[in-house]
Parts: sequence; C-alpha cells; structure tokens
Amino acid sequence: MRGEKRFIEGNIAIVEGAIAAGARFYAGYPISPSSEIAEYSARLLPRVGGLYIQMEDEISSMAALLGASVAGKKAYTATSGPGVSLMQENLGLGIMSEIPAVIIDVQRSGPSTGAATKPAQGDLMQARWGAHGDHSIIALSPASVQECFDLTVCAFNLAEKYRTPVYLLADETIGHLRETVTIRELEPDEIVSRKQPAEDVGPEDFRPYRYDGIMPEAMPPFGSDRYLSRTTGSTHDEKGEFRPVPENIHRVTHYLTDKIEKNAEDICMTKGWYLDDAETAFITWGCATRSALGAMEQLRARGEKVGMLQLQTVWPMPEKEIRSVLSSVKTVVVPELNLGQAAGEIRKFNDYGCKVVQANRVDGILISPEQIIRVWKEAEQHGEL
Amino acid sequence: MKMQIVLSGVGGQGLVSTGEMIGEAASIHENVYATLAASYGSETRGTFTKSEVIVSDEPISYPNVDEPDIILCLAQVAYDRYIDTFHDKTMVFYDTELVRPSESARGVHVGYPFKQMGIEMGNAAVANTIALGVIAKRTNILKRSSLEASVSEYFAAKPKVIGINLQALNAGFSLD
Repeated sequence: MRGEKRFIEGNIAIVEGAIAAGARFYAGYPISPSSEIAEYSARLLPRVGGLYIQMEDEISSMAALLGASVAGKKAYTATSGPGVSLMQENLGLGIMSEIPAVIIDVQRSGPSTGAATKPAQGDLMQARWGAHGDHSIIALSPASVQECFDLTVCAFNLAEKYRTPVYLLADETIGHLRETVTIRELEPDEIVSRKQPAEDVGPEDFRPYRYDGIMPEAMPPFGSDRYLSRTTGSTHDEKGEFRPVPENIHRVTHYLTDKIEKNAEDICMTKGWYLDDAETAFITWGCATRSALGAMEQLRARGEKVGMLQLQTVWPMPEKEIRSVLSSVKTVVVPELNLGQAAGEIRKFNDYGCKVVQANRVDGILISPEQIIRVWKEAEQHGEL
Repeated sequence: MKMQIVLSGVGGQGLVSTGEMIGEAASIHENVYATLAASYGSETRGTFTKSEVIVSDEPISYPNVDEPDIILCLAQVAYDRYIDTFHDKTMVFYDTELVRPSESARGVHVGYPFKQMGIEMGNAAVANTIALGVIAKRTNILKRSSLEASVSEYFAAKPKVIGINLQALNAGFSLD
C-alpha cells in the first residue's frame, strides 16, 4: 500500500478519493464552494482515461451522470445546495431505476443562492427527502480532509453495492479546510466493483431488477451484447417493464426503502470518543464535529465527563449507535450549522428521557467550541428539555 | 506546542499561499500537524481576507483561530479587525507602509515595508514570502530548510518564480 502525505484542501481530497475508488466520469456545473472539485477533476480524469464534461446546468449534469453509470462507469458530480435542488428530478430517476452515482454536495448557506462562500449544514433534509415519493437514501458526511478521501471511497462502494445514488454531504468549512492527509492507492479488495450476472445466467433468464430481497440485482452495462437492460422511472417489474398494479407498486416501494434501511448496520459508520464514562455526549456530523471536539477537549481537561458520537453516515441515521448514547447519558448536545435538522431525527429515538438540546449557528460562521460549552452549561443548570 | 497564526490582509496578497507553505513545511517536512482555514468574500481581490493556520504536535480539532499567537497584517482593515485580540505576547507583524499601528495596542510589534521590499526585489507579489521569512526567524515556528523545501514545492508548477521566492524568504530571514 503506497501512501502519500499531502497538505491539501477537502475538495481536492474528495477528487483523489473518487479516482482511487475507480470513478472515471464527471459531469457538472461549477458552483461555490465546490468548484475546486470540478477544476481538479478536469485535470485528473483525463490522466486516468476518464472523462470530464462541463454541462450547461445541474439538470443535465445529473442526467449525464446516470447515462455514464448505466453504460458501466463509476460517475460523480459536485455541487452545492442550488445545484442539488436542480438535480432532484433525475436523482429520483436514479433511485427508481437503481443507478449507482455519487453526488457531492459542498453545503453553503441557503436557501436559494444564499451566501455562496459561507458554510452551512442546511441540506440534511434536502438530501433525505428532496426527491419526491417514498424512498431511502445513503448520505455520508466528512469532518476532516482525511475523511473527505476515505468517505468518498465509501460513497462509491455503497453506491455500487446497493445500486443507488449516494450523497457525500460536505460543507464549505471542510471542503476548503487544508490539512494533512494520506492519499493512497487502494487495495483491490477495498473497491466494490459493479456486480455482473453470473456466467451461467443466459440472456433469456436474466432480469435487470429483483424485488424479493433487500439486495439489488446484477447490473450489466447498457448496450451489452448479451443482456437486455431497461431503465425507466415508472414503476416496473423484474424485466424493467411498466407495471403499475397495486401489488407491484407496494413491493417496489417497500424494496427501495428496505434495501437501505434493513442494511443500516452495514451502511452506518460512526466514531466515538469517551462514551464509556460520559454523562454528556455531543452528537455531531460534518464540520460541527471539529468544534465539538474542541469543546470536549476543554471540558475533559476540567474533569467533566463529556463524550462524543460523530455520525459519518447521516442517512440512514445510525439509530443503534444514537440509541446507545441516548440510553446511557443524561444530556445530549447537538451542534449544527442549521436550526436543528439532525437534532429532530435524534429526538425520534429518544425513548430514554435523555435531555436533547441544540446548539445552532446560521450566520455563515463555523460554530465555536465556546458556544457549544455555553449550551451545555445552560442545559446542566436548567432541568427542563 | 500549539501555535495559532493569522495571515490577514486583502485578496490578492497571497495569504492563502503563505498559509499553504507553512502548512506544508509543518506537516510534510517537520511531521507535525497543521490546518489552514481560509475565509474569503465572493470577490477574489481587494476585500478583507484571512488565513488561519494552526501548527501543533497534537491533532487539531477546531481549526479556527480566535486569539492568534502570531499575526501578519498586510492591510489596515486587517489590523483594525484583530487589534482587540492582541495580548502582551502576541507577535504582530505588519507592513509599515500599509498599516498604521495603534499606540495603545498590546503585543510585540514588528514592522517592515514588505511590499516596498518586494518591489525593489522585482516583484511586489513576494511581500508575503519576505514576511514569512521574518516570522519564521522571529518565532522559530519552523526550520528554514523546511520552508525552503515547501516554497520550492509550492511553486513547482511555476519554476520561474521559485528563485525569487527563495530570495524573498532569505531576505526575510536576514532582517534583524
């Protein structure tokens, strides 16, 4: 395993992760604070036999992504909130027709054009429910430049394994943060390649979809000379033929949710600090993790029993790990650069009477350790939720 | 050891580049941890910008700097914005022709006409690198050899300017 130590920003580490994971196609429309991903992809992809296309907008970018992916390539795009909004229609197509792709959202302050160069974490719910209709989604969120590399690799692997679009929810703070990172070539067993039909499956027996379990069917490339594939956003059967009858609609809807929710144990990644003896825990994701780590270090130095759970996977929410924290500590503080999007999800699991309080900041500046400590102190002083 | 550094001025003065050179010298050549958080406006030039650099022998959690140990001010707007964060030991480096320091300000002030020195050297754009040399010499945050290596690597794609930047770094180191 060859590793190279570098001092680079998160956006660049994301591109390195994508290339290492085997991505060979990028379509996008540059937007702050994600533009370095487009720029660096344009430089790197041709060197590895890949293709970079700058599209006319984000609608076509997402369409191109799906096209490249059904043709057999690992494909990705990078954008920010305004672009994610435009991608939703085709994202839904990707979910329905089970097309792997990675969408990198470097979050900025919104809604609409908002404050283009300022960090935010306001797209958590957009990622979960931006596409209409019942479905589930996978989203990972890095809190360091190293995680920008590592979780991008995971995003591509999960996209292939579960045949679905996957989000990487980065943010301006982490995307533009420069720090020390190890960029490495991956071992073959660290890369998930697209599943192909088994040798003994004849063209007449092959079905491009399956709905009887919680894992997707193999996906030969579109235009394969052996297998017929169909891609449609309409509710279809195993052959990919339109079949809008009640029992089929029912099973397809359940399947699209179940293949992610029932595999949550495999998909959910978290990191914990001092959770064994913690009386208070910070539950964090993305950039606010860094502020919470700073707050935890200060409080630990004063002898306070504070621990932390970082959600590297934000969708599906790591329910098991969150419940374990809620059931073992007195107070949970959820710092976010939004008005409480993750906090609301965490409260859904709170069957334990744990006090869940929010530390929110939405002025385009990274939340400080001091603000988190202030919220914690207030929660300790006042008994109420 | 944990050093919190702010490089402040206006867009176009190369302050992010200076931060990258410090970060690279620290993390690649001295094997310690470094972060660089840059803040900028929608415009690329002319408005207030800052680079916040932390160099530490421990992993760095919160990457923003509230109270710098070392600050470089290459514009009055930058100096005015940070003056309230100075404490007695803050090392304040400033351009004597671009910044008028306050008489009541705390901190150890070190001023040179960095921009003018750059112009005399043939390129005003190396003012930041001259300042880097002075900062490194006065604070001992990084070894000269590490900075020379990181300056050369940083400009690897533009070999024509490596020479003048090394010259600028050395000019900074030779100032008293």
